[in-house]
Amino acid sequence: MKDVLLKKELFNGFVEALMNSYKVAAPTRRGDKSFAFNFITDPAEVCLDHIPTILPPKKYFLPQHETLLEYNTTEGQNMQAFVEIEPMVILGVHSCDIAGIQCLNHVFMDRPKDYHYQARHDKILLIGYECLRKCDQYASCGLMQTHTPTGGYDIFMTDMGDHYYFSINTFDGKSLVQLFDGFELADTAAEKTLKKLRSDKKKLFRNETDVSLAEIPSIFEWGFDSHVWDRTAEKCLSCGNCTNVCPTCYCFDVNDEPELNLAKGRRVRVWDSCQNETFAIIAGGENFRPKRAQRTRHRFFRKFKYPVMRYGKFFCTGCGRCSRQCMASINLKETISNLKRSWGEI
Amino acid sequence: MSAPKVAFFDLACCEGCQLQVANLGEELLDLLGHIEVVEFRELMSEKWDGEYDLAIIEGSVTNVEAEEKVKEIRSRSKMVMAYGACAVNGGINGIKNKTPMEENGRIVYGDRFKDYPSMPTKAVGDVIDVDYIVPGCPIYPPEFLKVLKSALAGLEYVIPDHAVCVECRFNENECMYEKGINCMGPITRAGCNSWCLNNGNRCYGCRGLLSNPNIHGARDVMKKYDLDPDVILKSIDMYNAAAGGKDE
Repeated sequence: MKDVLLKKELFNGFVEALMNSYKVAAPTRRGDKSFAFNFITDPAEVCLDHIPTILPPKKYFLPQHETLLEYNTTEGQNMQAFVEIEPMVILGVHSCDIAGIQCLNHVFMDRPKDYHYQARHDKILLIGYECLRKCDQYASCGLMQTHTPTGGYDIFMTDMGDHYYFSINTFDGKSLVQLFDGFELADTAAEKTLKKLRSDKKKLFRNETDVSLAEIPSIFEWGFDSHVWDRTAEKCLSCGNCTNVCPTCYCFDVNDEPELNLAKGRRVRVWDSCQNETFAIIAGGENFRPKRAQRTRHRFFRKFKYPVMRYGKFFCTGCGRCSRQCMASINLKETISNLKRSWGEI
Repeated sequence: MSAPKVAFFDLACCEGCQLQVANLGEELLDLLGHIEVVEFRELMSEKWDGEYDLAIIEGSVTNVEAEEKVKEIRSRSKMVMAYGACAVNGGINGIKNKTPMEENGRIVYGDRFKDYPSMPTKAVGDVIDVDYIVPGCPIYPPEFLKVLKSALAGLEYVIPDHAVCVECRFNENECMYEKGINCMGPITRAGCNSWCLNNGNRCYGCRGLLSNPNIHGARDVMKKYDLDPDVILKSIDMYNAAAGGKDE
């Protein structure tokens, strides 16, 4: 599919064209230093140059509260699956967040498939936006190599001065571009510029740590009993910020919410967190991870070891949200570094 | 099957939680279609002398009369719900437990304080067995309805034992600490859908502490943001003094 260019002054016109056909979510300003994906009503709300939003776009694929089914027990046990999703476009998604959605796809589209996730996934189109510089000191996309996209989007936009370069990856992406008249075909010069830009990026997005991606598996091979986890736990308040803002954390709980007549109701899926003390309690009151150190360790292993065994993939996108949101200053990069250094100190 | 007979009672409190129930609006009308309210001082003058299916008690126990009253309610009720911070963990009334009772009496009633006997504040659950609780000052109406439905269905309801931060992030609020404002969210039980935070206020800890809060960690966080933990952690007492909330 041929890539296209869009003059910057026409960008708002393109967004309006999208809004005529789809619900459009985009990064918007939330506070002095923070951003959030929201459905927009005006192209002027879009903040393409944002640091990672408080919550990643996973909230559209796996909402905080999601009705899975409606039940009615007046005659037997009638249950009706419930999916409420309109076709939508998420605009301005950074490559780290696209990587996060790719991780969630692995989990939810693996067998047995999660049909609610699949239904949402099928209705959501992604327009990425390239980072040309590091967002802040928390990100580790250099280490995780997620600063440049590797698929998983319909369109990917790159700022080229007075133009945006639109890399078109799917037929859906092509149909989005066809909604608006102002595009021109990307010529060889533009393609060259993009190539140059990407190779220059490698110098800007260097590994932020003294740990290489290749040695992470071995660090997590022996790091289970490291004292690092005790030190992390002293600081940790178990507030769950790190997992809630993580683009690849997907654990949930399921509750039945009856109506007042008690006969009808809905079954709701709600985000849960391994950092919550009650998370690993099972019937009989046994708790697999009653200690904070066990819980903080579990989070790291769920990013750097278990998914590698299961999916051959790290489940950290380097977006830096967990460190950015941690009021106790538990920093992912420092923790991995300390873990490496703790070798032999156990 | 007749509708369950439900009665509302109040002890030492501001009756603000009853007001939340009265303010439910259309949901209250819906609710009245499924229960029979036999006593509710704020809304009606009728009384009932039979057995209650569910007694809903607001306020804390601060004198002998209240103690006898809750025991009598318990003996006449199949199920009891304590609702609001005063009933659940003593609430604001618990502050008086920090000073000797005689001193409290003199401050309020002067020399005739002995005519108005009072005792240290107790939560309803300290005096009688309670089947359901709805914490908060005031109660969060959607949670009240959830707990009430569980009670009517005879199901257990467990109040979350994770931090208010969880719901605050669900709502994508900016962290108060990032704005340099102290907040009890990280050590307070969720369930209120971070009601105060959503409206630009901080968390005051009205729902009570987590069963295992990391107070040392919370102190470090406050210091990191140039806030005085000694002063801030004292504010836990506003709602939790009777529950043994420590200013550590």
